[in-house]
This record gives sequence, C-alpha cells and structure tokens, in this order.
Amino acid sequence: MALLDVKQLTVSLTSKTSTLDAVSELTFQLQPGKTVGLVGESGAGKSMIGRTIAQLLPPGFAVTGGELLFDGEDLVGMAPERRRSLLGRDIAFIPQEPLSALNPVLTIGQQFREHLEHIGKGGAGWKDRAAAELEAVHLHEPRALLNRYPHQLSGGMCQRVLIAMAFASRPRLLIADEPTTALDVSVQARIVRLIGEMQKRDGTAVIFITHDLRLAAEICDDVIVLYAGRQAEYGPAEVLFRDPAHPYTRCLELAVPDVTGDPRGLYLLPERMPGLKAIADLKGCRFATRCPLADDTCHTQEPGLAEVAPGHVSACWKSFATEGITPPPAPAVAARGSEKILEARGLSKSFVTNWRLFGGASHFHALKAADFIVRDAEFVGVVGESGSGKSTLARTLIGLETPTSGTLQLLGRDIIGTDGGTRDWRQKQMQIVFQDPQSALNPRRKVGSIVAQALEVGGPRLTAEALEVRIRDLLSDTGLSQEMAARYPSQLSGGQKQRVNIARALCRLPRLLIADEIASGLDVSVQAQLLNLLLRLREELGFSMLFISHDLAVVRYLCDRVLVMSKGEIVEHGETEVVFSDPQHPYTRSLLAAVPKGVRAPQVEELSA
Amino acid sequence: MSGPVVKLLMRRLLTVIPTLIMVSLLLFCVLRLLPVDAAAMSLPPNATNDEIAAMRIEMGLDLPLIQQYGIWFGDMIQGDFGTSIHFRTAVSTLVLDTLPATIELAVMAMGFATVFGVLGGLWLFYARGGAVEVGLDLGSVALLSIPEFLWALFFMLLFGVSLDLLPFIGRLGSGVARPETITGFLLIDSLLSGNMATFMDALRHMILPSVALGLSAAPPIMRILRSSLMDVYQEDYIHQARQRGISEGRILIRHALKNAFLPTLSLMGVQFGFLFGGTLLVEIIFSYPGMGNLMVDAIRNADLPIIQTVGLTYCVMVLLISIVVDVLYLVLNPKLREA
Repeated sequence: MALLDVKQLTVSLTSKTSTLDAVSELTFQLQPGKTVGLVGESGAGKSMIGRTIAQLLPPGFAVTGGELLFDGEDLVGMAPERRRSLLGRDIAFIPQEPLSALNPVLTIGQQFREHLEHIGKGGAGWKDRAAAELEAVHLHEPRALLNRYPHQLSGGMCQRVLIAMAFASRPRLLIADEPTTALDVSVQARIVRLIGEMQKRDGTAVIFITHDLRLAAEICDDVIVLYAGRQAEYGPAEVLFRDPAHPYTRCLELAVPDVTGDPRGLYLLPERMPGLKAIADLKGCRFATRCPLADDTCHTQEPGLAEVAPGHVSACWKSFATEGITPPPAPAVAARGSEKILEARGLSKSFVTNWRLFGGASHFHALKAADFIVRDAEFVGVVGESGSGKSTLARTLIGLETPTSGTLQLLGRDIIGTDGGTRDWRQKQMQIVFQDPQSALNPRRKVGSIVAQALEVGGPRLTAEALEVRIRDLLSDTGLSQEMAARYPSQLSGGQKQRVNIARALCRLPRLLIADEIASGLDVSVQAQLLNLLLRLREELGFSMLFISHDLAVVRYLCDRVLVMSKGEIVEHGETEVVFSDPQHPYTRSLLAAVPKGVRAPQVEELSA
Repeated sequence: MSGPVVKLLMRRLLTVIPTLIMVSLLLFCVLRLLPVDAAAMSLPPNATNDEIAAMRIEMGLDLPLIQQYGIWFGDMIQGDFGTSIHFRTAVSTLVLDTLPATIELAVMAMGFATVFGVLGGLWLFYARGGAVEVGLDLGSVALLSIPEFLWALFFMLLFGVSLDLLPFIGRLGSGVARPETITGFLLIDSLLSGNMATFMDALRHMILPSVALGLSAAPPIMRILRSSLMDVYQEDYIHQARQRGISEGRILIRHALKNAFLPTLSLMGVQFGFLFGGTLLVEIIFSYPGMGNLMVDAIRNADLPIIQTVGLTYCVMVLLISIVVDVLYLVLNPKLREA
C-alpha cells in the first residue's frame, strides 16, 4: 500500500459568492522510501499539498474535493488531536527559510528538547539524544550548539538543525518545501545529499517541493509538474527531464540557462501564469494562453491526464509534440569597447570586529586587494557564496563603504572619498540595482515619478513635457506598458518592480550599472525576460554592468567575463566561457560541480567548508 | 550573560550623569524665575529690609546664578539637599519619608497595569476577526481616553463612598498600629514585623489608588501586545511549530508570548514613567502621604529646596526605570547580548 495516497484532491478559496480552485484534482501515490518532486512557478500550488497535509491552509482555503490518505488514514477528516500526534512524529517538515523557522529567543537546545518531548523522547538524557541527532547531520560540537541561539548559526547550520529535528522521530513522510532555495549552491548540494542520507537511514518517503526542475530531476524518483493548480505532467524524474511530454515542462527547462553545453538562448514564456480568478474563467487547457503549440481545441477543451508511457502521464492534447519547442539562438556576442570604464587596483576593505581599549583591534578582511577592469559595454559577472565579499565589493564601488586601501577609477577619474562634485558625477555615471525590488521602491510614489526621480537633482530642469517623454521612453525601454506610470509599486508584480528599478537606474544614462542579485527570487520565465531585457538594453544604450549573482548559469548566459570570489578574494577571473569550461581554481571547480544539471550525479565533489 | 549586562549598566550610568546635570540645571534656572524671595520667606514677617538683605548674602542669593547652582550641586553630591524653608527640616528627610510610599503605589499600580494589559491584550488577540473584537476594540479606545484622576474619583465615589467597600483616605486607617520603619515600605515593614492586621489594612488602602493608576496605564499595553502577537503569529517559526504538532497553548505561551513581549516591554517602560508622574494627582485625591502631596505642599508654600529635590527625584526614578527595562530587554532578547 502506498504511504501517501492523494486522490483527486481539490483545494479551493471559498467565499459566499465563489469557489476558486488553487489545486485541482491532484492525484499521485508515494511509496515508502521514495521521493516525489513538486515543480512549478510560484502560484502553481506547490506548497498547498504540504499545507493540506498539516491542515494549515491559509485563511479562506479548504479541501473541497478528493481524498488524502496517509497509511490508509484520512488526513483531512482526522480529529485534530490525532493529526497533532502524527505531525512531527510520523510526518515531518523542512521549511524554506531555516533562519526564520527557528524561534529567535529560544536556544537550539530548548527547541530541540521541546520537540523530543513531543515525540516521546524527552526526559532525562534528552541532551545526549539531541546531541546524537545533531551529530548525525554532521554538525560539529553538538553539545555546545545546544546552548546557542539561531542567529548565532549560519543558514546552512540552521537547516541542518531542522533536518536533525525532523528526522529525530524517524518519520515515515517528510515534506521539504524549497529547503535549499535560501541557501548557497554549494550548501544546497550538501543539504540535499544530507536529506538523501537520512532518508535512506530511516526509509522515509519525501515530498520535495522546488522551482528548480534540474534539482528535482537529480534527486527525485518521480516528478510532478504543476501549472496553475493542475498536474501538467507526472512521471519518472529522468524521463520527464530528458524527454518531457508536456510543453510546459519543456518550456520550464528551456527558460533557464545551462552551466555547460553549447550556448543557447532562453525560451521566453509570454505573460504570466493565470491567477485563481483567471483560472475559473478559463475554458480550455490552463496553459493554452502561453503555450507555443496551442490550437483551437486547447482553448476550448480542457485535456485530462492521459498515460503517455507506463508510469508517465501528461495533461495535454499534444503530448510529446514538444520537440517543436526549441530555444532561440544564443544572443549575439556583443561588440565590446576597449575604453576602461571602471578600474580597481588593490581595492581592500576591512572591518574592525573586536575593538579593545588596550591591545589593538582584530580585523575582518571583507575585500582583499581586488584588481579588475570593466570595459565599455562589457558585462562582468561576480560569483561566490554568501560571505565571499560580493556585496562589500558592490557597496564599496558605489561609495557606501570607504575602501581601506587601493584605488578606484571611473572613466579615468579617481572616485574614492572625493568632494561633492565628484560624488554627483559618479552617481550620474554609475547606478546600482538592488536584490529586493520591493524595498528599493518608495511605496508612496507612482512609477512615473520613481523612474524620473534622478532628474529632480542636478542637471537642467526639464519641462513637464520633456519629463513625460523621458518617462515614456524609460517605460518602453524596460518593457513596461505606459499605464504603469500612474500605478504605485504595490500594484506591480515582482518582475515589473525589478524593471522599474532598472528603468530608474538607467534614467540618466549611466555608463556602468551594478546589479546585486537582481534576478534572484524571480520565477524562471520572469528571469528569462529580465536577462534578455538587459542584453537588449546594452545593445541600445551601450552601458557596462557588474552583475553580482550566486547563479552561475545566469552569469554564463549574461556576462562576457567573470570574477570568482572566495573569502574576500578574487580567486579566478577571465572570459566566462573559458573559466566555466576549464576552471583553474579548485574553488571555481567546486562551485561549478555543485550546480544541479538535471542528471543523477554519482557523487558531487565535496567542497572545502 | 552577566558580561553584556554589566557593559550596558556602565554605558547607561555614564549617560545618566549628564542627564541629571542638565535636568538639575533646568530645574534650578526655571525655579529662579519665580517671583519668590527665599530670604524674606526665611525670616519673620516683621523683618526689616536690611535684615532681608543680610539674609540674602548669608544664603548666597547675591552670587551669580551659575555659582549658586554650583553650590547647590556640590552640596547635593555630598548628600546635603538643603533645608525646607517651610518645615525647617532637612529636605532629604522629608523626601526619604515620602518616597517609599510613592514607589509602593507606583509599583503596585504597574503590577495592575501589567495584569490588565496582558490579560486584555490576550483577550483582544483571541477575539480577533470576530464580532467581539469590534466591541473590545471600542472598549479599549474608551479606556485609553480616561485619565487616572477620573478613575480615582470614580472609584472613590463608587467603592469608597456609595458601596463603602474600601478605605480611600491615606495609607492606614486611624487606630491601626504603624509598624516600626525598617525599609519605609509599609507593606514590607508590616510583614517584617509580623503585623498582619496592619499589612491587610495598608493593602486595602492601596487598592483604589493603584487600580485607578493601573487602569489608565493598561490600554496601550493591551493594544501593543495584541498587535505584536498578531505579527509574531505571521512568523515562520510559529508555522513550523504547528507543523511539528506542538499544541496551540504551548505555541502561545512558549513561542509567541516571549517574542511578542519584547515590544510590549519597551512600551511598559515608557508607561511606568508616565505612571510615576501620575501618582501626584492620585495621591492628592486619596490624601495619600507620598511625594506627590509633599510636592504640592511645597509648591503652595513656594518651598524651593523641596521642589528642586522632589523634581530631581522624579527624574532619577524615571531614569532608573528605563535602565531596568533595558536590562530586562537584554535578558529577554538573545540577539542584543552579542555586542
């Protein structure tokens, strides 16, 4: 018997007037010890299954159809006490944000002890048991760890603690909801391997929720691709990745760049996934509006799940017609100028970490003697794990930090610690776009006034008409419709917000753009649009960019050259293709090895901690 | 943990000194603007102008203002707060006699404010989303707008006069034996001397004034606790605790309340400061022999040494409260213990 049997499960947002389905007729079985992946963009309904199992649905949502059986027991209709005794004991969860999933005012020990008590392993000697569990997830000095608070641990360590807690009860089912999304790629590889190891030890079945099809293909037995609450495709992971039946699966795969293989363009999925309301109005296939293969049938009749091969189902009228979907050709190699836009020589930044009245101070070297040049119309990628000094570099370049030593020249002009005139000039020539598109936008200003904000200071005053024209140009340059000018940031999607940030940065035509993780946290289709937008804008406006990212595939797609940073040092740099195809530094090699490639790797190379 | 606490205490004590100098300077200068001649007041009404002039010189009133301040401040550091013009006794004695009564009242009132605030906040939180919430919300706004002296008058009339349930004048009933002064705190002294009758009588005398004060300080605590509980329940660790099957009661007590209490605590510090100032009016209404009554008498008699010292004492108390709150904050919030 299957451990988890999901039959025609439907979860809806119900109100007096309407019932909107967030998940429709989800059906799958999970055998003990097996792993099933749930893949899709945000809003596809991936997280609903975990929330339904725990019966912790968002307000207004309820199961409106189908069954959810755990070992033959109905999880939906079960008494709350019975469910509580299953949760944490037989069914465990690993969250997306490990740092915020631990209570900040309780020590690891206090939280571990509470959990052990809940699963009936508390009482005297709990410390030994907790330490043993922490040791099993390869945490050093587990006893000392028990006395520490979550904020004293790194994200990866917190995730290990949560994994130790989840497996302390030898659970039969584990739900991991994007457990590595908030972590660095090398940490991700280690965490994923650890989950696999624990799963093997306890024979646990795993539901692995992720937006990363390649990661799912690497670690899952079966994969379900969800689109707008419905199963698009369900089948063995390798088959689904190598030879997808559903056009959405194919599009997802082609929308993200690769870290190996021949360069290719990114497949652009038009528009966005329909929201709950829009789904209710759709007659045909939910994917039809964005599908490159759709015809009249697709727009009028909804396809059911049909078996396309043994153990492989697809909800599409044109299953396996996906070879017609091909990626566009790789973007043309841009003509780069030879003019030095930015030149850093021996750029260093250290912070005083522990100042003492007597006996000096200890320093933390966040940036160690960085030498690099960014040339005209050149995109330079900066990669490395968190703590490698990427952000310190960005902050130093735009003047938020004063370097401890070294020189920094913009267009041949020294820009460190100079007078107000130079500062204004630097701001005109160099602009930054931040990672979080939301918090960088003033919520009380309309988009039109945000993008033209830079024109308010310095330079000649523009007439109202000239300002209008500039706003219109900026919006159309960044692919935003003209109506956006009258909207507030809260009315925009994440991708649109990031476009507004780019439009604002480009307002005074800077020569250099610094982009700090601007494509992270966006859905793959939105990310592909954003990357292509940057390439097009470079062609039209001819600016250079320093592109900071932890995503190596994105850097490979976008950047001409790359700097690899580790512990504040640039350990390797060169033409992107050369560095990625023939990495010289062991750190670069380990970073590249940790990137999921969609195939079950025999064993990922161990990274030095 | 003691390391950061000591560090914080040292840092705070360093800021206390300039604060006190500034407040004392302000008090001193403002009071000098009063059209009051301390020399004339110190002499019999039939004193001649020459005698008054001589007295002025003796009292140092002819010196420049800053020098007078210097003398006052210098004496204060040595524990000499001057002599009351009206009572002809050392100001320090007068203040030390009344301060414990006021502290006792304020602490008890703060206790009530905490109980009302926390219970009310939990009630508001539990009623969220329902019809009861609207009523409770209106109620808490109404409570917010009632000042402590109105509660005092109302309680006095209702429980004291009409229902005759509780005493409402002074600290002790007539004929109740006063315990010997050990700490100055009536409740503690009567307990220490094993005099239960006195203890109960003192306690009954304190109920009306402290509840009145506490009620006026409770509504903001209620509201901030409610809103921080709502914020905390959005946090991932609450969701994660539920996914682990931890019961709702345990989530509230162990996970949510401690986090939600942090913002509440800083507000309580501010409230305690206000409440301490609020004792003045309540003491007057209940003829409670604390610092407030001493202050009002002193103002009536233009008794400058007392006014200065009592004013400064209020300031010291508020500073002390804020230090205590900071220390508590440090103890409750592990993130602050690093630096």
